[in-house]
Amino acid sequence: MTARRGRGATTRRPAPPFPVLAAFLVPALVLYSVFVVYPLFSALQYSLFEWTGTVRRSFVGADNFVALFTTFPLDEQLLSAFGHNVVFFLGTMLIQNTLGLTFAVLLYKRHITRRVFQTLFTLPYLVSPLVVGYLWVLMLRPQFGVLNAMFDAVGLESMSQPWLGDPGTALPVVILINAWQWLGFPMLLFGAALASIPEEYEAAARVDGASTWQAFSRITLPLLTPAIGTVTVLTFIGSFNLFALAYAVGGSKGDPAGAIDVLGLVFYRTAFEGGVNAIGVSSALAVLMFVFIFGVALVANRFLRRREAELS
Amino acid sequence: MLTRSKLGIVTLGLGVALLAACAPSTDASGGGEGEGTTIEVWSWRTEDVDEYEKIFDAYEAEHEGVTVEFKPYVATEYDTILSTGLSAEGGPDVAQLRAYGGLQPLCEAGRLVELEGEDVDTSAIPDEVLGGARCESDGGLYGVPFASQALVVYYNKAIFEENGLQEPETWDELMASSQTLQDAGVTPYAVTGKDNWVLPMLHDLFTAPRYGGPEFEQAVQSGEKDFTDPDYVASIETMEEITPYFPEDVVGVDYATAQTLFTSERAAMYPGGSFELAFFQQQNPDLDLGVFAVPPPPGAVVEESMTPGWVDASFGVNSTSPDQEESLELVRWMATQDFGQMVSDELKQLNPVEGVTPNDPVLQEISQLRTDSPTPYLLLQDFRYGEPTGTDLMAAGLQSMLLGDADADAISADLQKGIAQWFEPGA
Repeated sequence: MTARRGRGATTRRPAPPFPVLAAFLVPALVLYSVFVVYPLFSALQYSLFEWTGTVRRSFVGADNFVALFTTFPLDEQLLSAFGHNVVFFLGTMLIQNTLGLTFAVLLYKRHITRRVFQTLFTLPYLVSPLVVGYLWVLMLRPQFGVLNAMFDAVGLESMSQPWLGDPGTALPVVILINAWQWLGFPMLLFGAALASIPEEYEAAARVDGASTWQAFSRITLPLLTPAIGTVTVLTFIGSFNLFALAYAVGGSKGDPAGAIDVLGLVFYRTAFEGGVNAIGVSSALAVLMFVFIFGVALVANRFLRRREAELS
Repeated sequence: MLTRSKLGIVTLGLGVALLAACAPSTDASGGGEGEGTTIEVWSWRTEDVDEYEKIFDAYEAEHEGVTVEFKPYVATEYDTILSTGLSAEGGPDVAQLRAYGGLQPLCEAGRLVELEGEDVDTSAIPDEVLGGARCESDGGLYGVPFASQALVVYYNKAIFEENGLQEPETWDELMASSQTLQDAGVTPYAVTGKDNWVLPMLHDLFTAPRYGGPEFEQAVQSGEKDFTDPDYVASIETMEEITPYFPEDVVGVDYATAQTLFTSERAAMYPGGSFELAFFQQQNPDLDLGVFAVPPPPGAVVEESMTPGWVDASFGVNSTSPDQEESLELVRWMATQDFGQMVSDELKQLNPVEGVTPNDPVLQEISQLRTDSPTPYLLLQDFRYGEPTGTDLMAAGLQSMLLGDADADAISADLQKGIAQWFEPGA
């Protein structure tokens, strides 16, 4: 402590005394423990017991976990919901993040218009996903919806479809709605990352005769790797925790015919529409979801850090 | 995104903190305040506040020193709020309870007072109705049923008249009328295929006589038959005769749209529940409504029309209520004809107490149809005691059928497979 203080005296302020540090850190730590750490461990504990309503009964070991994978039709729903989460993640990467990057690249040198467009594109995410979901449901209604009325008005009747009523189009439409709402987020992250790349790099490449595309793909894009990694991990976490938008569009069953059923909805159903032992089974699912999301995010993060280290 | 989940956690945290901060004050108002007693009644009927105030005013007038406070919560969140409320302090004294399977988590956890040992006189309520408020594990009665539902077909009298149609007496007439309406460019039935909880209701509403209603119920309960029985499969097949008259792209039509199609007079018929009557009348007071029971389909086991129904709600007493005696007194009153008549007149709900007659002519007709030829809404009444529920399985199956992805055999096989995991015949 003293040594560090002596060494850093010229460059940084001395660390505040412990009581001061504690005073600032304890409130956050308490909130975090009470609302994150404690629920996590209590869910793990809940999942190992049988429940009748809110009363805990006997210890049943892994029975609740086994029930998740052996009860019909929960076993099938779990699998298809997981598949939908994967598709949602891939679709979001492809559409939302690619467009986000494109817009960020198009905007980052336009100093005046950038602010305006950044604000416009990020506005939708100030609105709750539930509200966004309900609004789009209204617009996409086959009978009274605006979109189909527009298609009909310009003679494109063949395009007017029950967008959210057809299991084939429902999930892609949800991915698009989500992309519409969150487009601004990758755009801002990529925008910030682009701003931190010294302009000299690109200028030097251009002097050496690189085309615009070459300069982007050989110089700018590799330097964006850390940002791409962060966006990927965040998209992954968001995609597997998806709930509000899917609920607003497809209700608790992910209608039509479970076409937009995701793990979050399966959890909601087992927890709140799940009968006498709802707490046991839903806690088991919650534990599995957490372990999966946390595990993958951790591994992905390690991998990305290593890639970054290789690049720099 | 992480920011979203973080924001969610923070919001949730703040919410819980706020709730915790509010809890003691809520509790204080629930307890006795010197001379008077306040009984807090919880419900999921946020739309009925004014009506309940009126009903409880009548009770307060006869019971000096007792104040009844009606506290409704949003229907979709109610079960969670109630189970939390009953397991902690600050819960209700009297609570509106779900029927059949929905009651089990509460009564099995010992959160409610058994009423038959507490001198609640339920002799004016039919036994099968009381069954909706009994606990499966001990057979005890935990609520006084006060609202039943019945399924009928509502029709728009003006549209019927314009097309020269009358209430159908036979299945063939029903099909012919549907065709006439469709040819005239009117949607015959306003139906949602998106909010699929409605679909199992339609199945019983249109085809209960085909599989035999109460007789089939007994055969399934005793284990003599199951859901793969040819008559039950045929009843699902019968649905395919009606689905062509549903709105176009029916799986994209949500519940609100289906209701709007009917109240805006763009659809001629609405197969639905008695619980929808008040809403229809409120949305379009000029709508001239009629109701009929669906005539038996060809090959029906029971050759008369049937009106499916079930117990929807009851009132029970919190076992940890500090004012248990006063709460029981209120619940005793809820089993009387006085209360029943007010439920019928003010809330426009079917009340099961003997001697109660609705003053609304349409409701009266529904009540008559139900009394004349009742049949259980089978999957709700008998097959919600375990997971997966019969209604959920049927809902998913019929929705697949509307999409052309499943046939009657597959639906009944899935139904049987799902239910067999927890249902023991003859138990």
